[in-house]
Amino acid sequence: MLPRLPYRIQIPLGLVLAVTLSVLLVSVVAAQISARSARQEIVSTVQRVIDLLVAQGKPLLAQDDTWHAFTLLRNTAALLPQTSKGQSRAALLDAQGRFLAGSDPIRLPTGEQALGVLINGRLLPTASDANRPRTLTTRDGGMTLIEPIRSDDDQIIGFVFAEVDAAAFAPDWAARSTPALVGAALAIIVLVPLGWLLGRRMARPIAQTADCIAQIGRADPARLQLLLPQVQDPELNGIAGAVRQLLMETAARQANAQRALSAERLAAVGRITAAVAHEINNPLAGLITATRTLRLHGDGPDTRNRCLDLIERGLQQIRTMTTALLPQAKVEDRCMTPEDLVDVITLARATAAQHFVTITSELDQQSELFVPSTVFRQVMLNLLLNAIKAAGQSGQVHARLSTDAHKVSFVLFNTGRHFSDDRLQRRLTTDDGNDPNGFGLWICHEFAVRFGGGFTAVEANDIPSPFATCLSFWLPNLTHYDQQKPVAD
Amino acid sequence: MLPKRNALRVFTKRKCYEIVIYYAPIPLIENKPMQRRKLLELGATWGLMQAATQAQALKKDDTAPLRIGLTAVILADQAAFLTRWSDFLGARMGVPAVFVARESYQNILDLLFSDQLDAAWICGYPYVLHQSKLQLLATPLFNDKPFYQAYLIGRHDNRAAIKGWSDLKNRVLAYSDPLSNSGWLVAQAQMRAVGLVDQDLRRSFFAHGHRNVAEAVASGLAQAGCIDGYVWDTMQLQKMAAAAQTQVVWRSDWYAFPPMVAKRFDGNPALLALGEALQNMPADPQGMSLLKALNLTGFAAPDAAIFEPIKALAASVGALRV
Repeated sequence: MLPRLPYRIQIPLGLVLAVTLSVLLVSVVAAQISARSARQEIVSTVQRVIDLLVAQGKPLLAQDDTWHAFTLLRNTAALLPQTSKGQSRAALLDAQGRFLAGSDPIRLPTGEQALGVLINGRLLPTASDANRPRTLTTRDGGMTLIEPIRSDDDQIIGFVFAEVDAAAFAPDWAARSTPALVGAALAIIVLVPLGWLLGRRMARPIAQTADCIAQIGRADPARLQLLLPQVQDPELNGIAGAVRQLLMETAARQANAQRALSAERLAAVGRITAAVAHEINNPLAGLITATRTLRLHGDGPDTRNRCLDLIERGLQQIRTMTTALLPQAKVEDRCMTPEDLVDVITLARATAAQHFVTITSELDQQSELFVPSTVFRQVMLNLLLNAIKAAGQSGQVHARLSTDAHKVSFVLFNTGRHFSDDRLQRRLTTDDGNDPNGFGLWICHEFAVRFGGGFTAVEANDIPSPFATCLSFWLPNLTHYDQQKPVAD
Repeated sequence: MLPKRNALRVFTKRKCYEIVIYYAPIPLIENKPMQRRKLLELGATWGLMQAATQAQALKKDDTAPLRIGLTAVILADQAAFLTRWSDFLGARMGVPAVFVARESYQNILDLLFSDQLDAAWICGYPYVLHQSKLQLLATPLFNDKPFYQAYLIGRHDNRAAIKGWSDLKNRVLAYSDPLSNSGWLVAQAQMRAVGLVDQDLRRSFFAHGHRNVAEAVASGLAQAGCIDGYVWDTMQLQKMAAAAQTQVVWRSDWYAFPPMVAKRFDGNPALLALGEALQNMPADPQGMSLLKALNLTGFAAPDAAIFEPIKALAASVGALRV
C-alpha cells in the first residue's frame, strides 16, 4: 500500500515508522534490561530504607514512642516500592519482637507478636534467631527483611521489619512503555510535518515532470520543455532529459505532420479541381457534337430545336454542377424526365462512336420520376462514359432506367472485363486521385450516399450474356414521400 | 543521670546551641555528701540561670513581645491564622504578641516557669497541678460555656467495635499527653472505674496531641483514643479525614475548658491587657472571625472554682502531685 502513496505521504510515514520502530525496539530492550535489574534496585532501596529506620528508630525504641515511630514509618515507607498499592510495608519491633508501630497498622498491628509467628503467611524467625540481618524470600518472589537495632553497648533493643510483596517486583510495563510512547508521539509530531515538507520538496521535480508528460500532445512542446525542472539528481536528470528528447521528437513529428497535412490539402484541392473538370468535360463532347449537327443540319426547324434544347440542357447541367460547388449557393434543380436519358445517350454517342461501341437503352417507367435531374444525369453520363471505355473497341453497352414507387434505378451493362463489387468498393475507398476513371465512380458513390441511395456492382453470375460488368445506381423516388414538394438540393 | 529540667536553644543560621539546665532533687543532694564537682556544677547552673533571667529582664524592658505558649488544646498548626491572631492581640494590647507552639504541655510549662513565655494556653489538669504558681487570665467559651467534654473514640469500621471503657482490655489505646485532662486523666479515672489498669491494655502510647490521637485511631495504630471533645468536634467541623474515620464511643462529664494562664505574681501589665483583649474579642468583628476559626464563642473572666472537678478527678486517681 505504501508504494502507491505519493512521496509527500510516503516520506513522513516512512520516517515516523522508522523512528517509532527504533524507539519501540530500544524501549523493549531497555525495558528487558530494566526488568532484570529492577529487583536488585528494589532490594537496594529497601536496604537503604532499613538503614534509615535503624538510625532513626533507635531513640524511638529507647523511649518506647509508638506515635513518633509511626510517623517515621509512615513517611519512610513512601520510599518503599508500591507502598501506595499496599505491596510493601515496614515496622519497628520491640526487643521481644512485637510491633511497636507499622506503616500499615491494619496489617502490622501495634503490640502484636511479629517474630516467631506467621505474618502475612510468612513464618518469621524468633527474636533470638534474628540477631543478625535476615532476608527471607517466598516462593512467589516476595521478600521480608529483618534487621536488629542495637544500643551503644551492642544490646538488641528492637528490630526493623520490611516486607515487599512479589507484585512489587513485577515490571511495570505501562510505566516503562510510557517514555517510548511519548518518544514515538514526539517523533510523529516533529517528523510528520518535516517529512511532508521534505517529501513535497523531493516530489516537486517528479510532479513537474509528470505534469509535463501528461500535457504532451495537448500543449506546445517548446513551452512544455520550459516546464521541465532543472535538477542535479542524476536519476531525475536522466528522466527529465528523456522527456526533453521526447518533446523534441514530438515537435519534429508535429512539424512533419503539418507539412504532410498541407500537402494533403493541396492534393485534395487538386483532386477536387480534377473532378470538377471531369464533370464539366463529360457533357462537352456531346455539346460539341450537337453544335456540329446544328451547323450542318440547323436549317431544319426540328433538328435545330432539338440541338438547341440539347445544348441548353447540357449547359444547364454544367451550370448546376459548378453552382453546387459554391457552399453558399442555393441550387434549384428540376425533376428528371425520360428525355434526360435520351440526352445522356445522345451526349455519349460521340464517345461511343470513337470506340465503335454499340449503345442500347431501355426505359421501364412504372412511376413518375422525382429525383434531381442534374445529379441523375451526371451519374448516368459518368457511368455511360465509363462503360463505353470499359467495353473497349467494338464493345456493347446497355443502359436501363427503371422507376417504381420507391426508387429510380439506372443499371448499366457493358462487355469487357468483369468489374466486381469488391473492386468497386476498393476503388471507392482507395481514393486514388491518379485514376481518371475513379473520379466518376467516386462522385456516383458520393451522390448515392448523400441522397440515400445505393451504388453497387452486380456479381458475374447474375449478369446476362454477353455483358461482363453491371453497375447499378439508385436513388429513392421521392414521390412516395412528398409528391407536392419539388426536388431540390 | 540528672533529669532534664529545662533547655534553652539558641538558633543561628548555621548552628544550634542548646543550654541544658539540670537539677537534682533535694533529697538526692541531702542524702549524699556534696562533692566538689557537684558544687561546681550547681554553681555553674546557678550562674547560667541568673544570666538567663537577666537576659529575659533586658528583653522585657525593650518592649519585648508578649510570648504566648500554645499546646494541643487547639489546632495550632495554622500559621496564617496564628499570624492574624497575634496581630489582632498586639493591636489591642499595644504590645506585640508572639505565639510559641510546643508539642507537649510539659514543654510549655517548662518555658513558662523559666520565664521564656509570658502566658500559655494549657489544659485544666496542669493548671490544677500548678495552681499555686499560676494565675488565670481567661477561660475560652465553647458553645457559650467554659466547659468541654473528654471523648473516647474508635474507628468507624472496627469489626470488634469498642462500645465503652470495659472493651479496652487487650486493645491499643492512644492518649494525648500525660498532662492532659481529657487525653489522659479522665481515661485513668474511667479505666479505674471499670477495673482496668494500664497493664490490661495490649499497649498504650502518647500521641503528643489530640489531633494525633484521632489520626492514630483512624489509621488503626490504636483501636481507641482519649481526645479533647472540643478538638474532635472542631476537626469534624473542618471535615478532617481523621475525624470522619472515627466515632465517639463515650463522652465524659463537663470539665472546665483549658484556660489561658500566666505565672502568678507576674507584674507584666501586658498580661492584664491580654486577658481583656481575649474577653473583648466577641465585640470586635475581627475578633469574632478569629473566634469562629477557633470554633469558640468567646473568652470568660477567670473563675478558679470551675476547675475543682478536675482537681477532684486528679485526686481520685492519685495524680494530684502538688
